Amino acid sequence: MVASPSATYPLAALSTIISMIHIEHLTKDYRRLVRKEGFLSSLRTLFSAEYTTIHAVNDITFHINEGELVGYIGPNGAGKSTTLKVLSGILVPTSGRVEVNGLVPHKDHNANARQIGAVFGQKTQLWWDVPVIESLRLLRDIYKVPEAQFKRNLSLFDDLLDLHEYQNTPVRQLSLGQRMRADMAAALLHNPRILFLDEPMIGVDVVAKDRLRTFIKEINRDQKVTVLFTTHDMGDIEKICSRIMIIDHGQIIYDGSLDQIRARYGTKRTLVVEFEGEVPDFEAPKAARVKSEGRKKWFAFNRFETSPSYLIAHISARFPIIDLTVEEPEIEEIVRTIYRGQAETSEAASP
Amino acid sequence: MKIFWSFTRQAFHNTVIYRFEFWLRLVSAFLWMYSIQWVWRTLYTQRPGAFGVSLEQMVTYGVLGMVLETFLDVGPEWYMATQVRSGAIDTDLMKPLDFHVHMLARSTGEMLFSLGVISIPALLIGYTLFDLQLPPDVSTGLLFGISLVLGYLVLFHLGFLLGSLALVTLDIRSISWAYYSLVSFFAGQMVPLWLFPQFLRVLAEALPFKSVYYIPMSIYIGTFTGAAALQAIAFQAVWAVVLLLISRWAWSRVRARLVVQGG
Repeated sequence: MVASPSATYPLAALSTIISMIHIEHLTKDYRRLVRKEGFLSSLRTLFSAEYTTIHAVNDITFHINEGELVGYIGPNGAGKSTTLKVLSGILVPTSGRVEVNGLVPHKDHNANARQIGAVFGQKTQLWWDVPVIESLRLLRDIYKVPEAQFKRNLSLFDDLLDLHEYQNTPVRQLSLGQRMRADMAAALLHNPRILFLDEPMIGVDVVAKDRLRTFIKEINRDQKVTVLFTTHDMGDIEKICSRIMIIDHGQIIYDGSLDQIRARYGTKRTLVVEFEGEVPDFEAPKAARVKSEGRKKWFAFNRFETSPSYLIAHISARFPIIDLTVEEPEIEEIVRTIYRGQAETSEAASP
Repeated sequence: MKIFWSFTRQAFHNTVIYRFEFWLRLVSAFLWMYSIQWVWRTLYTQRPGAFGVSLEQMVTYGVLGMVLETFLDVGPEWYMATQVRSGAIDTDLMKPLDFHVHMLARSTGEMLFSLGVISIPALLIGYTLFDLQLPPDVSTGLLFGISLVLGYLVLFHLGFLLGSLALVTLDIRSISWAYYSLVSFFAGQMVPLWLFPQFLRVLAEALPFKSVYYIPMSIYIGTFTGAAALQAIAFQAVWAVVLLLISRWAWSRVRARLVVQGG
């Protein structure tokens, strides 16, 4: 069921392919204190505490090569952020092997920190009360970015992120769209090889979102920055990601290209037919009539059981048609189906 | 070293935005200086000679305690606690900078900024309005300077340990209040240790807190001179090193079992 990453992405062959992220059998457990009700019981936990173990990430394996732009999706609490934290060296894995461009994040913390950049939608790495440019100057000193590189990047961010519009404004006065752009600049100031984006589009309006997507695509293409992108917005995935990984309950349940996921899970099609006049409800072979509205009718079918041309021929033979469209399922719907449980979808998917 | 200066510049930009807070801090320093010198003057008119040193020395001790607070009070604990609560501690932990060094640079930057912008004006007020004495000679001034740096390091590391606790308990607000009262009392910020009752004095002499105010200020007013001053400085140095080692050890432990809130 789970597409094996090594099958989908052969590491071998081309010597030009550089493996950037290498995770093997990674497990990360959390210990959570069991909270008790009542005063006496909570007092007792001061002396003898009970813990439960939670497998935030449970034996995952994947590889990402240089220059890939990977969407990493999954429901809340699936283990996405935990994976990112392990990769950035914040969390120490319980077991398994993790390498980022040849470095073990939690061991070579500082060297690894210099080759990665991160943007978190929920929190900023900029200092709240100071102008954006001052935060960037402090980051320049922390990351030891040479002055020439700093200047070059600032002018790049000027062009692509309109940095000059808000560089003298304190972060707390920025709009969310501006803040995300400023955070993007902060994350890329030291020219990292790998960029982690943890839900960077939350609450960002359509226009700003579009600009950020373009920017991410550009730095991925022009600077060969490898991007691991966590999001709940399937638009992000469809517009910019070449590969998607789905994680749920701490395990990778899908790893492959967007086309593959469509071919595999997106077997449902809907035919929308508009008739010349009022038409009584009727059944079509191997298709279900899901909706009737005025002169329009919707027929759902599985593309492996019947073909649109057959269906159209059948219907047009009975009633005159003036317009028709075939709707593919949204990627969001496909993902929802995958989250809900693989058993039923795998049945539906097999031809 | 450059990083320390970067944080000082950052602290400057931070405070420029809070101009109102700046004036508030200066006015509050003035009020405290005024109150403490008034208390000692009143006590001295009631019972002159009961406090072991001259009125001028005692007023200097009290006023200096208030001036020092304006720049020593920049511990990393609030920053650490705030970052833990908001989850932004992740972004700090991702930096290619040792966290302990990062906090030291941040606190020192803020300290240098406060020193220049608040403490120097407060000191000038002290000299002109409250008869603050100068140190008797240059070597005393020098020893005071060394002692002050060590005192700062002791206070920083106590704060760092408290902040590290925030990563375990996720909230240190209640502990902080106890901690601050403990520091200002046992450090002898307002009342010098020689006026403590016997059992409290024994305790206060052994604890590291006196490094922060009592030792530097005693050197300044001349109650610690020569060998006594050097011995006191050695005491501070030992505590600074011990607390540094404990801090590094505690941080590595905390780091290993870290669970970031909202993860």
